[in-house]
Amino acid sequence: MNIAATAGPKAEQEPREHGPITRVRVLDGVIRVALVGCGAFVLIATIAILLFLGRAGVRGIQAVGISQLISGVLWKPEADLFGGLPLIVGTFVSAIGAVIVGAIPAMFAAVWANEFASKALCPLYRRTMEVAAAIPSVVYGWLALVYLVPAMESLAHVIRPNQTTSGEGLAAASLLLGIMIAPTVLLLSLDSLSRVPSALRDASAALGGSPWQTAMRVCLPHSWRGIVIALFFGFARAAGETMAVQMVIGGARKLPGDLFSPTTTISTQIVMDMQNAMPNTTGSNVLFSMSLVLLVVSVVVVLFTRGLTRQGRQGRSRRPA
Amino acid sequence: MSVAEPRLERGMRNGASLERTLRLSLATGALALALLYVSGLIYLLVRGGYRLVAFTSIATPLADIQGEPMARAGLAAIVFGSFGWVASSIANFASAKIRGAYLPKRFTRPAVVAIALFGALLLRDHLPRFLIALPSETRAGGGIGPEIFNTLYFAVLSTSLTLPVGVGAALYMARFAHAKKFVGLLRTALDTLASLPSIVYGLFGFLVFVVQMKLGYSLFAGAFVLALLNLPLVVGVAEESLRAVPRELEEASLAVGATDVQTALYVTIPYAWPGILSALVLSIGRVFAESAPLIMTAGTTISRATAYSLDPLRGGETLAVHLWYVNSAGLAPDKADVSAGTAATLVVLILLTNIVAARLARYGGATGTRLQAATK
Repeated sequence: MNIAATAGPKAEQEPREHGPITRVRVLDGVIRVALVGCGAFVLIATIAILLFLGRAGVRGIQAVGISQLISGVLWKPEADLFGGLPLIVGTFVSAIGAVIVGAIPAMFAAVWANEFASKALCPLYRRTMEVAAAIPSVVYGWLALVYLVPAMESLAHVIRPNQTTSGEGLAAASLLLGIMIAPTVLLLSLDSLSRVPSALRDASAALGGSPWQTAMRVCLPHSWRGIVIALFFGFARAAGETMAVQMVIGGARKLPGDLFSPTTTISTQIVMDMQNAMPNTTGSNVLFSMSLVLLVVSVVVVLFTRGLTRQGRQGRSRRPA
Repeated sequence: MSVAEPRLERGMRNGASLERTLRLSLATGALALALLYVSGLIYLLVRGGYRLVAFTSIATPLADIQGEPMARAGLAAIVFGSFGWVASSIANFASAKIRGAYLPKRFTRPAVVAIALFGALLLRDHLPRFLIALPSETRAGGGIGPEIFNTLYFAVLSTSLTLPVGVGAALYMARFAHAKKFVGLLRTALDTLASLPSIVYGLFGFLVFVVQMKLGYSLFAGAFVLALLNLPLVVGVAEESLRAVPRELEEASLAVGATDVQTALYVTIPYAWPGILSALVLSIGRVFAESAPLIMTAGTTISRATAYSLDPLRGGETLAVHLWYVNSAGLAPDKADVSAGTAATLVVLILLTNIVAARLARYGGATGTRLQAATK
């Protein structure tokens, strides 16, 4: 706060010492303090979230041991077995699957909407995707439970006729998450693509580049930072998604044999076990330890995003205007 | 005899047909993606929509729960008010097409209010049963009355926390912050908050309110957690619209002797209000949609005695939580229909908030018509 000594506030504060204390001035001071308080509240809340979760999580790690928590293959709270590997594998595999089936097609759809769609179609397309991004995740989850899971069951029967499955599992979860994160990734990519300066497009066209060449060799490379950020946000959202995944993943607390057999994810297990676990026991604390994995994922995404944005800004400022 | 020179055309360029094919497949893929969402949305509205418009000719008796008459009247006012609003919009559109002028507002506004009052007073007990009945875990015919009430009440509770803190923090960052380090920290905190998965908020609320303060599941805990969840969105949009206020307006206010706090309160915030409001409406949409943090802070049950109580320390589920609960733990034989109706209600609420937010954003904000008119 002591860096505050700029010219502005000093000039305003100086006459205050001489004049009489009026109601307006007292009110001014109160409101100023309240505004700083609002900012401080945000900061304190963030720190409180990290501290509370960190404390409970560390207790869980101390009780079980970090190697068991990361590499154990059996999660059985009733037998005090807390092997977190199935949870971690489930979370990451389903999120990576979602990026492959949802986010990457969405990226190309954004290129189409920005480069090739007509002027009337692009805003409509954007509007549709904004609505799709706002639809609650439970609604997606319910639709997937009713339609996607049976479809996956049939698909599994076609692939391996001899085994029986319920259709719940990583394949269904990945597809569902892909459909859920596609609108968000698309909107973020679209934002980044629409910031490509038109001068670059014109230059490409003047050199004889076709629209396809301009889109793929000028616009996409120019906005790669924004698109990578969009993909990472999609990944983080898919990894943190809870209720929709819980409805289609099956809930078996073991490593899956393949993509069509039931397994679990971190967030699914948290929401299922937290209702049964007694507070302040190991069974409850390990859930916080597992949530630290999600926390680390989102912190990495934030740092990564910040780094890329800063790098992009520097790159632009070095160029002569 | 000389061989005719082939004429050069654009289509003859090397790889042009491949490019055409690629472009076509790209367009097909992108439109198929959009079609998926549009058809899903239409399906949701058609599948569950009939439960939302099945008005009854026989009055549904009250269930003798404290606050139920008022809750029913409020719901009727909202339902019939929005019908009136839609009707007046259609009439307005027709009038603009036929007469070339909109209907006068002093005529349409009282008409909408009158329709809402008429519905609230007289048609209160004729609302679709699904919308006013209590939920049922085991028998068919359960409704979502308390869930609708809780969902709307959550929106009020969490906005009453988000609005002052969010706008205060945004105003501080846009106009009053001189400490660069503090603002940098604040931005990092907001970025972190924005990237946390919602289940983490739920865990935090559970730890603080349920475990530490021993409050049990409560609406207040849920609303607090949702307010935290919405802060990054509200602060971001509010700051952007506060920064977009023309400097000339503020300087004019300062020049006639107002202090900078007065300028902020009487000039900057009113000017940026549509943008702030659109952020708030979007955050209400997220309150409607969120389920994981609410399961851990507000619980998954409706108790009959306090179904419509305004006490923020009772627990209760929202529409989104209900949709999950019915499918994961419900035993009712008609749970497919109940889910469809709940999903349709949710989708209608989300569409409404989106339309309102888009209208407000078009009116205010950094690129809004209001700013363009002022700086012309």
